[in-house]
Amino acid sequence: MRFRKYGLLVSVLLVSLLLLTVQTRGGGTGRAGELVALVVTPAQNLLVKIHRGAVGLWTAYVDWKSVRSENVVLRAESERLRVQALQAGETKQENERLRRLLALRDRLPLATLAGEVIGREAGGWVRSLTVNRGRGDGITQQTPVIVPEGLVGRVVQVRGRAAVVQLLNDPTSTVGAVVQRTRTAGLVEGDVGGTVRFKFMARDGAGVGPGDLVVTSGLGALFPKGLPVGRVVAVEDKGSALFHFALLAPAVDFSRVEEVLLLTGQTPQDVAGLFPSDG
Amino acid sequence: MRLLFFVMTFGGSLAQSSIVPALSVGGVTPDLPLILTVLLALRRGPEIGCAAGFVAGLLQDVAGGGLVGVQAVTKALAGFGVGMLVGRLWLANPLVQVPGLVLLTLGEGVARFFLLQLFHYPASLGELMLHVILPQALYNGFLGAACMLAAAAAEALRRGRTWI
Repeated sequence: MRFRKYGLLVSVLLVSLLLLTVQTRGGGTGRAGELVALVVTPAQNLLVKIHRGAVGLWTAYVDWKSVRSENVVLRAESERLRVQALQAGETKQENERLRRLLALRDRLPLATLAGEVIGREAGGWVRSLTVNRGRGDGITQQTPVIVPEGLVGRVVQVRGRAAVVQLLNDPTSTVGAVVQRTRTAGLVEGDVGGTVRFKFMARDGAGVGPGDLVVTSGLGALFPKGLPVGRVVAVEDKGSALFHFALLAPAVDFSRVEEVLLLTGQTPQDVAGLFPSDG
Repeated sequence: MRLLFFVMTFGGSLAQSSIVPALSVGGVTPDLPLILTVLLALRRGPEIGCAAGFVAGLLQDVAGGGLVGVQAVTKALAGFGVGMLVGRLWLANPLVQVPGLVLLTLGEGVARFFLLQLFHYPASLGELMLHVILPQALYNGFLGAACMLAAAAAEALRRGRTWI
């Protein structure tokens, strides 16, 4: 009995270490991740639909309760109209988001694919989204992901019908970027606090200040040039250090992203002019 | 029993990526699979705790996009450890449950950090403790205690006894 307990523990530890070793030697999560994802992805899709339905129902219930004090004759009509308005309001907001996404897609000189967020990981160790587009839709690793406001992140894992998107504020995320006004080059990094910062060489960044827009540099041919990343909030004075850091306000509110565009094509063109510059 | 195991591990991991973000307080989310692993370990011992932690951690790793296997290791160890403590500590007492879950989450977080250091995870332990591990530990402590009280109440009702 005792041997079985420790035997099981040793077995699971060995399996986990084997998985980690296979990944770091370039094997990827391979079959194990695919098999798990085959079961997980449809359930995630279903769960997010149930969750949204439940939230809509609860909102409708709370608002229905608030009109109970009105007179009896108007109450039934008022409840009916309020429920209709809430449903219409939610649909309208979703329509607005999708229209903006479609407008961006039409403007971009790139092949794009729209996707819906079906899962989130925001614990701090990892910050990511799961979208309902995968290998079957032609998505590959490192595919950039954007919304009308700017860059969201990149695809780091692709499965049959879903993909995991690493957000810009993930601690292991790094993106080549420049300050649009001064052309100071550097790296945008995430950290565990959920913030985003711009790392640049001190000698190049004398003119960087609050309000400056930071966009992707296009170097490395991973992200198109000119995708908005964020605006400088403050510059940390590190004195004589080689690198300085600027705290950024991300262009995108990652907690509210529900639909995204995945960039499946490439362009050498600077796309900065296709995004709002006042964000 | 198998149904309970399946629902708690699989359902908990799915809920972590789908519903738990909505429970965020100041950017802090609870670690629901860890809480459910502890509950299973308390009821069924170290083997079930270890297996539940392994499965829940593996599912979390796959859904989150990080290295697969890290949380499988830490949660398997957590489940095994809690299972071994059954009968040795007064675990039914909320005065033990809340600090116990806080300490367990801290320990699991520190273990995860040292394991990730083997793969050059860039964040420092101080930053992780301040922004992730400590806040989550506090959230887990209270949420986990509430779950345990609810489970005890349900068990007592099932047996037709008062639980206060």
